[in-house]
Amino acid sequence: MVHLVTAVIKPHRLEDVKDALRAAGVMGMTASEVQGYGRQGGKSEVFRGAEYAVAFVPKVKIEVLVDTADVDQVIDLIVKTGRTGKIGDGKVWAVSVDRLVRVRSGESGTDAL
Amino acid sequence: MNKRLQRLRLKETRRLWAVLLAGKMLGLLGVLALMKGFTWYTATHAGAGTLGDVTHQANDVINPLNTMWVLVTAFLVFFMQAGFMALEAGFARSRETVNVLLECIFDTCLCGLLFWAFGFAFMFGAGNGLIGHQYFFLNGAPDTYGTTGVAFMAYFLFQFAFADTCSTVTSGAMVGRTGFKGDIWYSIAVSGFIYPIFGHWVWGPGGWLSTMSPHFLNSFTHGAVFRDFAGSTVVHTVGGFIALWGAMALGPRLGRRFKRDGGGPMPPHDLTMGSIGAIILWFGWYGFNPGSTLSAMDFTGMGRVATNTTLAACAGGMAAILFVYPRSRKWDLGMACNGLLGGLVAITCPCYWVNTTGAVIIGAVAGIVVPLGVDLLEHWRIDDPIGAVAVHGFAGIWGTLSLGLFATGAYGLPTPDGVDTSTTVKGLLFGGGLDQLKAQAIGSLTCVVVISLVSIMLFWLVDLTRTLRVPAEGELEGIDLHEHGTHAYHMEFGQGSSFSTFPSTRLPLSHGNGAPEPEPDPPIPAKEPV
Repeated sequence: MVHLVTAVIKPHRLEDVKDALRAAGVMGMTASEVQGYGRQGGKSEVFRGAEYAVAFVPKVKIEVLVDTADVDQVIDLIVKTGRTGKIGDGKVWAVSVDRLVRVRSGESGTDAL
Repeated sequence: MNKRLQRLRLKETRRLWAVLLAGKMLGLLGVLALMKGFTWYTATHAGAGTLGDVTHQANDVINPLNTMWVLVTAFLVFFMQAGFMALEAGFARSRETVNVLLECIFDTCLCGLLFWAFGFAFMFGAGNGLIGHQYFFLNGAPDTYGTTGVAFMAYFLFQFAFADTCSTVTSGAMVGRTGFKGDIWYSIAVSGFIYPIFGHWVWGPGGWLSTMSPHFLNSFTHGAVFRDFAGSTVVHTVGGFIALWGAMALGPRLGRRFKRDGGGPMPPHDLTMGSIGAIILWFGWYGFNPGSTLSAMDFTGMGRVATNTTLAACAGGMAAILFVYPRSRKWDLGMACNGLLGGLVAITCPCYWVNTTGAVIIGAVAGIVVPLGVDLLEHWRIDDPIGAVAVHGFAGIWGTLSLGLFATGAYGLPTPDGVDTSTTVKGLLFGGGLDQLKAQAIGSLTCVVVISLVSIMLFWLVDLTRTLRVPAEGELEGIDLHEHGTHAYHMEFGQGSSFSTFPSTRLPLSHGNGAPEPEPDPPIPAKEPV
């Protein structure tokens, strides 16, 4: 069985999270730039002395496919390395994956990890 | 062709041609008449005057012309700010762009006011060999500066543009982590004190390096004095070495890993901006070097300096590209920019006294000094995002020394009304012996030692105020947001460029398009997850 772990984190934590996952043997990751808001509801920036509201704050979303047995460990790792302790550190969640196939070889399931 | 012949047969076309031809003839006649009239005027009026009148009338033409030249080149040198902004911003990361741009603009405003208040007085006022003290706030300024015959205010503007260049060079190596308050403190020191006072030693009236006034130095160089035509040392080595100590005092940007630790440079975010900046700087250098004749009457000198400047830049860029290619097997744009700038920095000192072959060699060597300098900083784990230390510091030293090797001995000094060949500058390779080289080495060494000592003190003092470096979280978030509250590039959501795809070719990848067949990838060995 395979799980998809998705995390939304601060952009500058990406490198550290990637290094930690790689060191732990997670062999692939997809990262995308996303924008969003949480409980804080955005923030404000300044241009020519005037403040303006930024409703959607830039974040990075990472998606990692892992063996179900490793899910908890991977989530803990992302939480540990992605945390700054400040508002806006993001969230991590996991869902089970019905089907997974490697495009090049046609391998499926955990073989495709 | 046929159509044109057909058109010629039309009556209207023939008429048009006749009118055009008649107009040209009239114009030609006018020019001939003007030439005749001018000869007559000079023969009767100027020739009939007394000697005093002649000088007076000559100065009426010469001084305005020289002033025009100095003003035009001052404007060009000022435009180098745009080049620096584009180069530094382009070579930096996108998160530190606003900071780079504002530092350049702020430095320019600050430098102008400081140079007006006391910088110019320290540098170009009369005083002793160490510092000038005349013309504070430009008080008591005469119409023309010294014996140059150039309007005082034009001369001031030209020198301000130079001072501004020096202070901007410094910020290049300190991109991305210098707190803005810290930047203000060290900028005041650089453009208000360090540059003007060191500049006085070389360019100011009676500066000790320009006269080699300590007796033992004078006898050591047999009367040869330190010469720096447009500022390889005064502007670039000074700026480059302050930048070096600044980068060392700050430490690298967070996350910057060096080559021997298995890392590499942080990639630039906009090479279009960066390379256009390099070319704008090259363009501005046509003010920097040729303008330093301060005299439009020395027209052969102006031409020689401009051509030498160009050739050194060409050779520098070319040498850097070819030097780096065997290493990476890639044609390197960033190093080409730094290489041509290195060539320009190097030729800045000797541009007036060398021939074109000399200029090409000086530029080419600079184009190799720059990549080697970049390697050295990488080895020392110093984070210089722009390459300011290698380009301005190291190439500046090479350029300063190169005068002692390549000066031909055929050229003297520019004067307000032409050339003065009573003192010429001759280097080692042209049979001038070691004297000029010794003088250059003394000047360059003095610069490196003095500027290093002063910089160490300066950055230690700024560090005491705890304003030198931004806090880690501000740096990670991006200095733009932390110090200035805004990003440089606001991409509207959904309007970004990340949605384009490669066009569909519907061709098998391996054949049919003439390209060599790609090797099939070997299977990737599976790794046990923990």
